[in-house]
Amino acid sequence: MRAVTLRNGIIGLLLSGCLVSAAQARTLDTAYGEVDVTGTPERVVTLYEGALDASLAAGVTPLGAVTTRGGDNVAEYVEAHLGDERPAIMGVVREINIEAVLEQRPDLILAPARLTEEQYQLLSRIAPTVVPPTQPIAPDNWKAEARLYGNALNRQDALEDAISAVDQRAAELASALDAAGVGGTAFVVRWMPGGPMVMSKNLFTAGLVAQVGLTVEDAGLVGERGVHSDILSLENLSQVDGDWLFLATLNEDGQEALASAKQSSAFTRLDVVQREQVVPVNGQLWTSANGPLAALAILDDIEAALLP
Amino acid sequence: MKSSASDLPTSAYVPERRSPPVAAPPGYWRIAWQSTRGNACSLLIERRGVAVSAGLGVALVCACILYLSLGSMALAPSAVLPALFGRGEMISVFTVQELRLPRLVAACLTGGAFALAGVLMQTLARNRLATPGIIGIDNGATAFAVASVVGMGVSLAPPAMALAGAATAAALTFGLVAGGGTQGYRFIVAGIGVGAVFGAVTQLILARVAIDTANAAYPWTVGSLNARPGDAVGLLAVGLGVGVIAAFVLARPLSLMRFKDATAYGLGVNVKARRFQVLMLSVVLTALAVAVAGPVGMVGLIGPEIARSLASSRQVPLVASLLSGALVMVLADLAGRTLLAPIEIPVGIVTAVIGGPWLLWILMRPQRSHA
Amino acid sequence: MPLSVGNQRTQITLLLTALVAVSLVSLLIGAGSVGPLRALAVLGGSQDSDASFVVWQLRAPRTLIGIIVGMALGVAGALLQAVSRNPLAEPGLLGVSAGAAFAVALTLVMGASAATMRISVAQLGALLGCICVLSVTRVRGLGSDPVRLVLAGAAFSGLLGSLTSLMLLFDQRAADEIRFWVIGSLAGRRLDDVVAMLPSMLVAAVAVVFIARPLAALALGERAASGLGHHPGLIRWLVVACVALLVGAATAIAGPIAFVGLVVPFAARALAGPDIRRTLWFCLPIGPLMVLMADIIARVAVAPSELPIGVLTALCGAPVLVAVVRARRLPTL
Repeated sequence: MRAVTLRNGIIGLLLSGCLVSAAQARTLDTAYGEVDVTGTPERVVTLYEGALDASLAAGVTPLGAVTTRGGDNVAEYVEAHLGDERPAIMGVVREINIEAVLEQRPDLILAPARLTEEQYQLLSRIAPTVVPPTQPIAPDNWKAEARLYGNALNRQDALEDAISAVDQRAAELASALDAAGVGGTAFVVRWMPGGPMVMSKNLFTAGLVAQVGLTVEDAGLVGERGVHSDILSLENLSQVDGDWLFLATLNEDGQEALASAKQSSAFTRLDVVQREQVVPVNGQLWTSANGPLAALAILDDIEAALLP
Repeated sequence: MKSSASDLPTSAYVPERRSPPVAAPPGYWRIAWQSTRGNACSLLIERRGVAVSAGLGVALVCACILYLSLGSMALAPSAVLPALFGRGEMISVFTVQELRLPRLVAACLTGGAFALAGVLMQTLARNRLATPGIIGIDNGATAFAVASVVGMGVSLAPPAMALAGAATAAALTFGLVAGGGTQGYRFIVAGIGVGAVFGAVTQLILARVAIDTANAAYPWTVGSLNARPGDAVGLLAVGLGVGVIAAFVLARPLSLMRFKDATAYGLGVNVKARRFQVLMLSVVLTALAVAVAGPVGMVGLIGPEIARSLASSRQVPLVASLLSGALVMVLADLAGRTLLAPIEIPVGIVTAVIGGPWLLWILMRPQRSHA
Repeated sequence: MPLSVGNQRTQITLLLTALVAVSLVSLLIGAGSVGPLRALAVLGGSQDSDASFVVWQLRAPRTLIGIIVGMALGVAGALLQAVSRNPLAEPGLLGVSAGAAFAVALTLVMGASAATMRISVAQLGALLGCICVLSVTRVRGLGSDPVRLVLAGAAFSGLLGSLTSLMLLFDQRAADEIRFWVIGSLAGRRLDDVVAMLPSMLVAAVAVVFIARPLAALALGERAASGLGHHPGLIRWLVVACVALLVGAATAIAGPIAFVGLVVPFAARALAGPDIRRTLWFCLPIGPLMVLMADIIARVAVAPSELPIGVLTALCGAPVLVAVVRARRLPTL
């Protein structure tokens, strides 16, 4: 059984490689140079949460995916978008199981920006491997990545739709918040026992918060290249005292982070805490995920927390 | 069968030079020949050593075949050999030639290098727990490689940086005890100090970067054979070849250096010079192996320990250590690849998890204290 | 050369004065906007509420914790070195930190959050780690081969470290939190934590008072100690229990802080001479001095953020360790 399907798969691969005309070939700019992809890939493996998200948004359920942080399966918010088929697990982000990828006999591999050269050399022998170029951190990076993945999938339109759906949803939420008089400055922090780490205002999540009309700040604590600050001294906690404080951990339950932060008297002194405008959020989604579906889920979170 | 560094024989056999027609002592083969200058030369080969090495070699070959067959893509052992030579289905050829073979080669070479370096170090320190890692080489390599991955400092590739880090740590340790000699625990303490500083630096770097970056650096902190750099493997192959030859040249003085310095000196060994040479060899082997696989622990302890328990205690079991180190590494990586599939466990974790209980057993086993 | 008893009194007085001074500096200097002058005003009774919060709620607890942790680590180091007759015996090398980190990682993986971590978990891990290493090297044999203890500790730490890594491979959240825990810090610790630690510390302190004399006798040799009516085996185990309690408590509060237990007894011995009882007295001010100074540097080096103190003690302590090894023959204990 197994051998037969294996052989068929290979013949299929060879045929699709030979028969599809060059007119349908698309050339993608990736971190490792130009990559040609032909036709509409059907056997897709994603090795990055953002790639899984983009692929699902485009209507393609990948054959394989890596686990999310803090779990042994894909992220929770992704579950809602999975049908009966579930992607097989290709290992964890830290150790990608290349043989498992091969076993799926993919015709397209969507990889993270930080894929090492050695891994790329092997993966690109299995199938065209799309590694997004590393860009300076900016809130809109996810759009470029999603478009690149969409182009590779030959479903540019579906991804454009998904991206504009996010923009539209954000715009609606922004006007709703505006009508409700909700606005002001916001910080996104992760709470650690020694103090908070301020997340960069250039991150994916921060961009969405900004899009709904809040002013996201990082108090100049995060450098240009940084994702988050060092742990801020408790003495300087007042620097994150804005109108809203989004508090994340990698816990699924942000309430726990809030409870632990409230044990610190330096934290409970903050105005934003006393006004009860601290929003505990799911760190798995807020600090790890990426892509149009994650964006919609985050906007849902914001709506639930901020709209009165 | 059990033997250990602590039950050394009270005297070593020293072949006599002047009287050619000597029968081989029991348990040895003797090869005699006339040199070009007419001197009678002879080489004694220990039968048990040969048998042990041959046995380990066979075990290693079997392990390699298993390694090539098992994995997420299971292949029948009968399909492996043809695939190795490029025949058979494309997908199995790719699996064997491109995915598993390079990794297997890396496993054999790093395992051999770690174990050889370990047995050399242990003989020098007269302590079965000493490895080159203890003098901070691993930590130095890790710190430099991690710094490279997270994009700090010079833009060398991680393997080159690991090599540089190992060299820096070794140089620092040597430099700090300059004049004090490489003997005794003065040297080891300096090494621990150097290692601790590099360990702290690594922790600091990891705590300051984003988790995605920390993830990219992860293989360098535990030791892994997943997608290893080809150049570093080539370098290691050359280094190991040279190292093995050097180890054989040093084998006789080494076996005498297991005794007290005065005894070794009396038997004609320039203890100070030899000690430095052996130490350098051990450090270089470790550095090259770390540049390929990262800081894989315990192989430098387990390999020599297996070798010592099999081989006789008359000689330092260099070949047997080399082979058992490779064997341990191959089996450990095989286990890491297959046990929790599709999730791979880095080989460094497997060796440590196997090696830990083993180590405790060595420590708790009743034995006489060291000389 | 050890000084005469009179001179040692002067030395102790000087050290205590230095400790008071450093504690004061620790109250005055921080990463935040409350400068020394404002802080001084608070100490003088000013009504500046922000500054008084910073001084009394943030700096005072960490100063107090620094003092307690420093004392615990210093005394533990001196005890361990005396009982093992090994100048290199450092609590951190004995699997204590690794044991604590392992326990913390285990509970993180099982779902706790680092911020709400019960301190007792780390303490329990530290205790078990210490007991493991010491029992495999068998306390009795420690004197014969000092390297053996160090190597066993290093190997055991390696094992626990790998187990920790294995768990973290599957749990990214824990991986993310633990990388901040393993370097040690005095920031954000609450007085409740200290109160939770006090009982075990007090037990250890009382025990130390009782075992100091037999321990000094033990330094004369096994037979001499037996002849003076002490039980060497019992003393050793008591000392180890004290060390585990002290180090476990310190590690649980502040995380692994390297090298304090190595460097402090060394400095103390240089001043006090070979008598363990005097050395212990000297450790009491020297330990907090080292920890507080490292903590003050940690606060100001990268303000407005802070460095972890464990990195600083390693960076300062390792050169001292090497210098000690280089400078002269290692003193035999």
